[in-house]
Amino acid sequence: MNRTRILLGTAALAVGVGLWFAFTSPVDRLQGEFSRIVNIHAPFLWVAFLAFGVTALASIMWLVRKTPRWDRLGEASAELGVVFTVTGLFTGMVWGQAVWGRAWDWGDARLATTAVMLFVYLGYLALRGATPDPEMRARRSAILGVVAVVQVPLVYFSVYMFRTLHQTPSIRPDGATMPPEMLTALLVNFLAITYLYIALLVARLDVARAEERVAIESALAGDAVKPPRLTEVEDV
Amino acid sequence: MSFWDQALEVARIDLRIERRIGDVLRIVLPFAVVALLVFPLALGIELSAISRLGPAVFWAIGILFGMQVALRQTADDRPERRDLYSLLGLDPAARFVGRCLSGSVLMAGFLLVLLIATIVLYSPDLPPGWPTPVFAGLALTAIGLTELGTLAGEVTAGLRNRTALASLIVAPLALPIVIGASQTLESLARDAGILRWLILLVATDLALAVAGVALARPLEEASR
Repeated sequence: MNRTRILLGTAALAVGVGLWFAFTSPVDRLQGEFSRIVNIHAPFLWVAFLAFGVTALASIMWLVRKTPRWDRLGEASAELGVVFTVTGLFTGMVWGQAVWGRAWDWGDARLATTAVMLFVYLGYLALRGATPDPEMRARRSAILGVVAVVQVPLVYFSVYMFRTLHQTPSIRPDGATMPPEMLTALLVNFLAITYLYIALLVARLDVARAEERVAIESALAGDAVKPPRLTEVEDV
Repeated sequence: MSFWDQALEVARIDLRIERRIGDVLRIVLPFAVVALLVFPLALGIELSAISRLGPAVFWAIGILFGMQVALRQTADDRPERRDLYSLLGLDPAARFVGRCLSGSVLMAGFLLVLLIATIVLYSPDLPPGWPTPVFAGLALTAIGLTELGTLAGEVTAGLRNRTALASLIVAPLALPIVIGASQTLESLARDAGILRWLILLVATDLALAVAGVALARPLEEASR
């Protein structure tokens, strides 16, 4: 637990440093103060992509190894991915309201596809919640975790596939499209939010392990006898 | 029996069950046509708006009700049937492919009837040379939706809230299919290239087919 506390504490510090950079970097001439939102918005969505990628990887590893820790990792990462996506969407909508004049614009393909990606992973979590048996839950969610990740490239490439309001990435292989001070603030925030994700992931895994321990310790004699399932009752 | 013989046999059995029970023909299809009728009533009788919205309504209803086709009762194997398939030594991948074949036939038929109903009820402005791209898009949509529905049906098999949960899984994951299908017609109307949208549909179908075949064994174990 100490390790987790240190991680969470340093993550809070890193986010604080990131915010300091965000609030002291120069602003865009046209967007004004609202341009600072990109320092939070873009890193949160980048980490959401990362989190869903980790879920897919953990799902593949569960299918190969069938050990509970991969299932725990997949679930924890998906939960964080959902939280980070919601935060990214919300900050994007605040920025949209200020700059485009509306929070939700159907002309922005990135916005719509990100919202859809959110619902894919809400479905993943709903499937986990609806499956009581731990092994069955792990197996089913691993399969969905592998399939669901196809949404990530679709969201990323949506700005190239459609005529959209959303800008293409500001950091490209051929260089960045922003001044060095703004770029530094953005990169610091990328690192800080990624570190926050790692710290929260470790904390969530601790909780998952504790939940599993409680479930094992509180097991009673006779628990192994399963009551008939609803479908079996219906069959009779 | 070879892999394809097994797959074709599964498809044949599925279609025979569907012919006897008629989930798609007697329930889903009439319900979808009713939905097509309700839309203009909600919109009012502005004919130009109805005509303009025709293709969008077709794809929206096609995708939403298409999920019901993919998740039809007759495609939900009971535990005894699954055990029988296992005892017969049926390849899980062949079962997945067979189920997708039968589902695609039903889905394509369903979408075709819906398309005819949309043309009759909405009189949409169809660009010249529409049949070939539309039918190609329709066939690819049918395959993709069926693959997705089969995957979702398997991972939710036996759950109390299966239909709602599987729909929640399928609807957002069907996004590339929705985009590919709807943009094909729109690009044709704008005289823009439709190839990229057909490629998107083909790539999605292929990716889902590969995922379904590769995950067939865990899928079979998951649905027990």
